[in-house]
Amino acid sequence: MVTLIYGGSASGKSQFAEDTICSLCKGNKYYIATMKVGDDEENIERVKKHREQRKNKGFETIECPNDLKSAIPQMSKSKNALLECVSNLVANEMFFNGEIIGKEDTVEKVVGGIKELADFCDNLVIVSNNIFESDSDYDDITLSYMQALGEVNAEIAKNSDEVYEVVVGISMRIK
Amino acid sequence: MKLVIGGYAQGKLEYVKKKYNVKEEFIFDCALPTKEEIEKINPEEGDVLVVSSLHKWIRKRIKEGGRPEEEIASFVKKNPNAVIISDEIGNGIVPMDPFERVYRERTGRILCDLAANAEEVERVTCGIPQKIK
Repeated sequence: MVTLIYGGSASGKSQFAEDTICSLCKGNKYYIATMKVGDDEENIERVKKHREQRKNKGFETIECPNDLKSAIPQMSKSKNALLECVSNLVANEMFFNGEIIGKEDTVEKVVGGIKELADFCDNLVIVSNNIFESDSDYDDITLSYMQALGEVNAEIAKNSDEVYEVVVGISMRIK
Repeated sequence: MKLVIGGYAQGKLEYVKKKYNVKEEFIFDCALPTKEEIEKINPEEGDVLVVSSLHKWIRKRIKEGGRPEEEIASFVKKNPNAVIISDEIGNGIVPMDPFERVYRERTGRILCDLAANAEEVERVTCGIPQKIK
C-alpha cells in the first residue's frame, strides 16, 4: 500500500506520517531521510527534533539524499518505509554537484525511484510538501523547481492508494 | 475555543462575523485583548470575542521577544468561548530570511496546538467554510 501525505511547513505532517506507518507496521521499518544535513545548524536542529519524535517507534534510518533506488538494497529487515520528504529529494536531484538538471530529467528520475521503491515495499508512506500557495513571483530556477515538485506530487498521488492533506495537525483524506 | 484558518483574503473574518453575529467592538485585530479591554466592552451572555489575524500578532510578539506560545495558551484558558482567526502561512517556498523561517515554524506549531485544543476547526476557502474538526 502506498500513502501520500501532503502539507505545508509545520503542519504536523511528519507526526501524522509516523502514526500512519506505525499503524500499518508494528515491527521494524525504515525511515528514508532525503535531507542533506551538512553543517547547517537549522538542519541539524531539525533532524534532532525529528529523531526525538520518532525514537522508540521501531525506525531504522537510511540516509538517501539522491538516487532513491539505492535505498532498496539496504532494506534487509523490513519492506515497510517512511520516505521523508519528496521536496528535498527533488531539490537534491535538480541541483546536483553544482549543476542544474532539467525539469523533465529530474521528474523522471524521482518518479522512477519512487516507483521502484513502492514496488519493493509492502507499505510505503511518502511525505511531500505544499510549497505552492504563496507569491509565485520567483526566479526561473525556483519556478522550474516548483513545477518539478508539482508534477512529482501529482504522479505520486495518481499511484497512491490513499492521499491525505494535513492542515494545522488535522489530516483530511483527499483520495 | 474555535479556530478558523485559511489563506489570505479568503473571507474568514466576514464568515465569522456573520455566523456569530459579532459586534465590531468585539473584534480584536492582530491583538489579544487584556482583561481591562474585555471588561470595558462588557460582554453579555452569548457575545463572541474574536481575535483576527493571529499570525500577525505572532510575528509581532516574536519580534518583540515575547512568548506567543504561552501567551495565547493563557488567553484561551481565560476566554474559552473566543473565536481565533489565522492565515495559513506555511504553504510556500522556504523563505530565504532566517526570521521568516522561524516565524513560519512557530506559527505552524502554535496553530497545531490551538487546533488540538479547539472544540471546532474550520478552514475557509473562497468564503466557503469546511469543518475539519
